Amino acid sequence: MAKFPSDEWVSEYCNRLNNNPDYADAGKTWEGDILFVVQPDENYSKTEYIYIDLYHGKCRSAKYVHEGEEVPKAEFRYVGKYGNWIRLLNKEIDPIQGILTGKFKLEGSMMKIMRYTKAAKEMVNTAAQVKTEF
Amino acid sequence: MLPLWYFRTPRIIFGEDSLSFLDDHSSSKILVVTDNFLSNTPILKEVLSHLSGKDIKVFSEISPEPRLSEILKGRELASRLDPDTIIGLGGGSSMDAAKILFALHEMPDLSPFDISPINSIKLHQKSELIEIPTTSGTGSECSWAAVFSDDTEERKNEIASPEIMADYAILDPKLVLDLPKGITVNTATDAITHAIEAYTSQWRNPYSDAMAEKALDLILNNLPTVLVNPKDINARNSVHIGASMAGISFSNSQIGLAHALGHALGAIFKTPHGESVGLYLPHVTEFNYEAAKDRYDKINSFFPDEYRTDKVWETIRSYLNAIGQVTNVSEAGIERSKYEKELGKIVSLASESTGVITNARDASTKDIENIARSIL
Repeated sequence: MAKFPSDEWVSEYCNRLNNNPDYADAGKTWEGDILFVVQPDENYSKTEYIYIDLYHGKCRSAKYVHEGEEVPKAEFRYVGKYGNWIRLLNKEIDPIQGILTGKFKLEGSMMKIMRYTKAAKEMVNTAAQVKTEF
Repeated sequence: MLPLWYFRTPRIIFGEDSLSFLDDHSSSKILVVTDNFLSNTPILKEVLSHLSGKDIKVFSEISPEPRLSEILKGRELASRLDPDTIIGLGGGSSMDAAKILFALHEMPDLSPFDISPINSIKLHQKSELIEIPTTSGTGSECSWAAVFSDDTEERKNEIASPEIMADYAILDPKLVLDLPKGITVNTATDAITHAIEAYTSQWRNPYSDAMAEKALDLILNNLPTVLVNPKDINARNSVHIGASMAGISFSNSQIGLAHALGHALGAIFKTPHGESVGLYLPHVTEFNYEAAKDRYDKINSFFPDEYRTDKVWETIRSYLNAIGQVTNVSEAGIERSKYEKELGKIVSLASESTGVITNARDASTKDIENIARSIL
């Protein structure tokens, strides 16, 4: 069980992405990094970040960024409150529907991301496979 | 528990003489967006007769696959007229073009590519959008999606925003009474596909379900009558309303793989849209069946008895055959060798469609390729 978010969770997530043929297929032409932003809510007091560098269906590197550390720049930022991250990882929220209903915010080129919605979905499916404790 | 979601629809005017709604509409400067064919038919005259005394410009340069260059040309006309009302009159192409033109008129600095469900673009500030379908199928009058083609690239761009949804949709059955058989079949096939894909979508919800069920009931039971007796206004009206309900349904729960592949096919071979999605629908249904068995069994029950078999995909095939829809690439006028040559591109374009993520069953690139091959 890896706590979300943590170094252990991020490492396990990156490994699972690299061993997931469905993600490899959906993201085979994707080039770009993403920053997951975990925002505080009534049950979580910190803002934390997960940086993931994705390239041609593989996770080249991933890093958990603690509050107070320098936040890496990324082409895309996927931003949501801690409670919504729990619901996303439990597959109670669809990653795209989550954006459309304001549960998550996406910052970055819409034109690019809209051609990779399948990859985004596979990323969440993969995250849901990580044995996680909240 | 259902996730948070919305149900959106324009205000709908339907039934006999519904065009008379325009008589009292408080507009003074109107841009009518249509195609060249319709501009020379009594349909345009009929619509304009309800707008007498108003400042009207007709932009009739929308092609069957609306292109960005045409839309930008329309924007120039709109900037000169500064309309308080934009009317999209025609099939899906004209209505989709009207939606994009409406957005560009409201926000002149906007790029069509910036129209997305995530960006708040604050439309409906200085004008209203009215959509008037002259075919029964696209559902564009009730949806918040639009499709346009690049001039430089073989790609159909699917854009969506709740803000490009029409203020009003006028469903006057007399506008479809003279619809030729081929277009009737193609557009109805599109509507049937909308309803089936909406009903099985991973984003389906009770509201979209209700619309899809009624749409299938109205279309499947009345279309055969329309094809035998095209002037049967009651049957025409039922198909017309059913098509708009199918539009509301998919607009609120999204499309699936038949549309993802159909858009790709249309972008490359210029196949009519309804024909494109109808080609793939039985094969997509067979692929999806186990993932939404109860849903598909329910869909099977909506088909009239004479077409129904134990397998819903065979039922669909039987119905589409009966109404005269093509079932393979050769019948669609596409050379097999050319289709095979473009297969990779079709699969690639389809994989980029949002229809892939809402399809009833998750599909890999290989799955999409297998379905694409099945129409050879």
